[in-house]
Amino acid sequence: MEYDVVIGIEIHCELNTNSKMFSSSPTTFGKLANSCVNEIDLAHPGTLPCVNKGAVEQAIKACTALHLEIDPVVKFDRKNYYYSDLPKGFQITQQFFPIGKEGHIEIETSLGKKKIRINRIHMEEDTAKQFHLTEGTLIDFNRAGTPLIEIVSEPDMTNGEEAAAYVEALRQTLYYLGVSDVKMEEGSMRCDVNISLMPKGSTVYGVKNEIKNLNSISNVQKAIDYEIERQAKILDEGGIIEQATRRFDEATKSTILMRLKEGNVDYKFFPEPNIVPIRLEDAWIKSIQANLPELPEQRRARYQRDYQLSAYDINVFLANKELAEIYEEVMKTCKNAKLACNWMITDVLAWLGKNNVQIPDLKMKPEDLATMVNMIENGDISGKQAKEVFEDVMLGKNPNQIVEEKGLKQVSDTSMLESLINEVLDEQPQSIEDYRNGKDRAVGFLVGQVMKKSKGQANPAMTNKMIVEELNKRIK
Amino acid sequence: MIEKLRNDVAHAKENVQQAIDLAHKIQPKINAVVTFVDPSEQLAHLDEVKNGLMAGVPIALKDNVNTKGIRTTASSKILDNYVPVYNAHIVDLLKKQGAIYIAKASMDELAMGGSNLTAYTGPVANPWDTTRMSGGSSGGSAALVASGVVPFAIGSDTGDSVRKPAAFCGVVGVKPTYGRISRYGIIPYASSLDHVGYFTRNVKDACIGLEVLAGRDDRDMTSSNKEVPAFSSLLNASLKGKKIGIIKNVTDAIKNEATSKAFNELITKMKNEGAEIQEIEFDNALLRAILPTYYMIANCEATANHSNLDGIRFGEQEMGDSTEEVMINSRTKGFGLQVRKRFITGSYGLFVENQEKLFRKAQRVRRLIVEAMQKALQDVDCLIAPASSTIAPKIKGEKIDELMDEYLVAENFMVMGNFSGYPSMTLPMGFDQGCPLGVNITCKAFDEETMFNLGAGIENCTGLHDLVAEVE
Repeated sequence: MEYDVVIGIEIHCELNTNSKMFSSSPTTFGKLANSCVNEIDLAHPGTLPCVNKGAVEQAIKACTALHLEIDPVVKFDRKNYYYSDLPKGFQITQQFFPIGKEGHIEIETSLGKKKIRINRIHMEEDTAKQFHLTEGTLIDFNRAGTPLIEIVSEPDMTNGEEAAAYVEALRQTLYYLGVSDVKMEEGSMRCDVNISLMPKGSTVYGVKNEIKNLNSISNVQKAIDYEIERQAKILDEGGIIEQATRRFDEATKSTILMRLKEGNVDYKFFPEPNIVPIRLEDAWIKSIQANLPELPEQRRARYQRDYQLSAYDINVFLANKELAEIYEEVMKTCKNAKLACNWMITDVLAWLGKNNVQIPDLKMKPEDLATMVNMIENGDISGKQAKEVFEDVMLGKNPNQIVEEKGLKQVSDTSMLESLINEVLDEQPQSIEDYRNGKDRAVGFLVGQVMKKSKGQANPAMTNKMIVEELNKRIK
Repeated sequence: MIEKLRNDVAHAKENVQQAIDLAHKIQPKINAVVTFVDPSEQLAHLDEVKNGLMAGVPIALKDNVNTKGIRTTASSKILDNYVPVYNAHIVDLLKKQGAIYIAKASMDELAMGGSNLTAYTGPVANPWDTTRMSGGSSGGSAALVASGVVPFAIGSDTGDSVRKPAAFCGVVGVKPTYGRISRYGIIPYASSLDHVGYFTRNVKDACIGLEVLAGRDDRDMTSSNKEVPAFSSLLNASLKGKKIGIIKNVTDAIKNEATSKAFNELITKMKNEGAEIQEIEFDNALLRAILPTYYMIANCEATANHSNLDGIRFGEQEMGDSTEEVMINSRTKGFGLQVRKRFITGSYGLFVENQEKLFRKAQRVRRLIVEAMQKALQDVDCLIAPASSTIAPKIKGEKIDELMDEYLVAENFMVMGNFSGYPSMTLPMGFDQGCPLGVNITCKAFDEETMFNLGAGIENCTGLHDLVAEVE
């Protein structure tokens, strides 16, 4: 039987802020357990929450970039449940009045472009991290209280590819905004997928399963592909899908049942009495919106306009923001955008991989790479010579100096080339004969002889042109 | 009293010791103290704050006020071993003005109650008659001020928990406007109703108290930026032309003759001093709704507020095979009956199927009551009524009919001050059977200045100030 697949995605994203959502303790990743906590994060009696303005600013940026309508009155609610990773016994979230509602993002898949609607974005706080060991449970409260936004999509996706494209598009947008470092492997961006199947053409949704905590974009796609197959098989065999929470198992590439959902949990949501509703000043919202960093789609348009790069080249740069930023530096003094792009996305990337260097640690100066590319463009060095120069440029050396030291400068001086050419032609009368008889191969041979005599420094293109001119003169 | 002691800051050590000695002496009889505090460290630093408004003045703190390094239990078993890692905001303010806290005072468990009978350390007795209750929930603080141990003590007031024990103990009890005093570091009961309040033995000291405690604290988002007037130097006791509105529903509900007589005598004297008296009658159905409305809002907020008391990170821990079991066991053993009852009520009111008709409805009724108060206060400077229909009840008392107006209206109308957040204070107005009776006034939001002026006028009429009960 054929099915329509319905997929909705909830993403929790840790915000880039100095301090926590409701307390002043720091939000750094990878610190000694329980070293980034204060009495508020541990929910000591008598503590009160204080809203982090920086987190609200980040949420506004995300809402703006994703076209959500912003609620200028910020309100928070309590979500009540007992769990040892939740210090207060409730989470402060925005159940009733999310900061943003009704937005969208555009994705591109093999089927073309598509708009995925976003239902809401709300702010909340993260829980602590638990480690269940045989001898007991360890709790690290460093993460407790970290600011989050939850981004809830509409059920607009129909396959794993679309879902992966949606997560990637969001990830890129949030990263460009500087809202989050979106490291799925470190958990700063976490993805829960809801998926259900219904007979093709039906309008009644099937029973959904939720796959929790997918930690990479490829796993989003793999988990969904598996889950579609699993649910289809059950339905094909006349079985019933039970509402459940599942997780993706990397080893077996399958989804595994965590728990069946028996009715919905009552979280007893009610407005947080310790945070009075905050009216955001219109001018403040506008100033945040007016100063948004460049978004991926804007950068794509600019690269098309200013550098005339291909879609493929632009995608490489969009996926690697730091590389693109070096490229832009290079282009400040470089003449040939395409040539510089090729060096960046092939040679520079390959060099980084081969030498296991991260971009922030790179010693290469963008203006040096630009100089090198300009030398190629001007015919000062050959492509082959450039490869040699490049290795040193990547170590931070100046290309003019390299060329000088290694004697790599191409001979483009016409009088010097002229004398070399005449010398060679005088030595090779047979070649002149061959040329007269229409054997063009002779030219290549003569160029080779000139290159040899010049120890490889003659400009090949110029040499070629001048030999042909001289030959034509002589056979007249 | 406060001025006299701070002018005697040179003898602070002796004055503080005297207070501690008296507290110890009467402790077996009134049981007002949970933890005695060794003041030597505070005294050692007194020189740095010797010009403070409370320099060298011994004070007491209700045991829900967090004190860094000093056990703070909120009179609950679950916090029996709790030693805070931080000071409540007001503790820092008090220390800055040179106050020396000598005791953490008993209270109803987690401030849930009006009798101080539910404290984990047992009931607090009324200094005027030790067979009677102090009232609650700030009973320990009220008793320590009334018995002359300290001239000033912090309490908290969620539903009259400062003003009722003040009435029963014959002292001044102040609950300023919501937002005047930071709640940061006060173990809560119900956040939207909780106020920091305090006890003194006269109105002048009450003025000084608010000067020390009031002001914006960035750690409490509900605290106010409003400027704090110099209440004590602005104090003006003249009642001439002051418009006073008697809450008729309360006076009608009171059956106790001694109370009515004392109140009427006070009103007559106020009239003689030039006050313009009028009666204000509220829709009685609204006033009868105060108690159920209060219970619903307070307990819904409380059940969430106290979900942090789970034995995982601090407090008394009862072991179990999983973190979930630890939480269940700690909470089961850690709370008294009254508290558990209120958690159940609160939890029930928040269930998704009940929330609209219980919690949300209560919030709407609260709004109606506040609107009625607002309207009433348009025409008068304050609302006035006896703070209780009787003197303090016996500790081993008889069950009262909780559906009669005498209880429902007369014993609960002061909760209106918590619903609205309006400033409200109780003062002594007379005696019955050797025990004090109190009168309550409530003013417009942030108009504590008028409240203190009226309080001073009332004090002049009654002549009742600086009362001290000798505990026998």
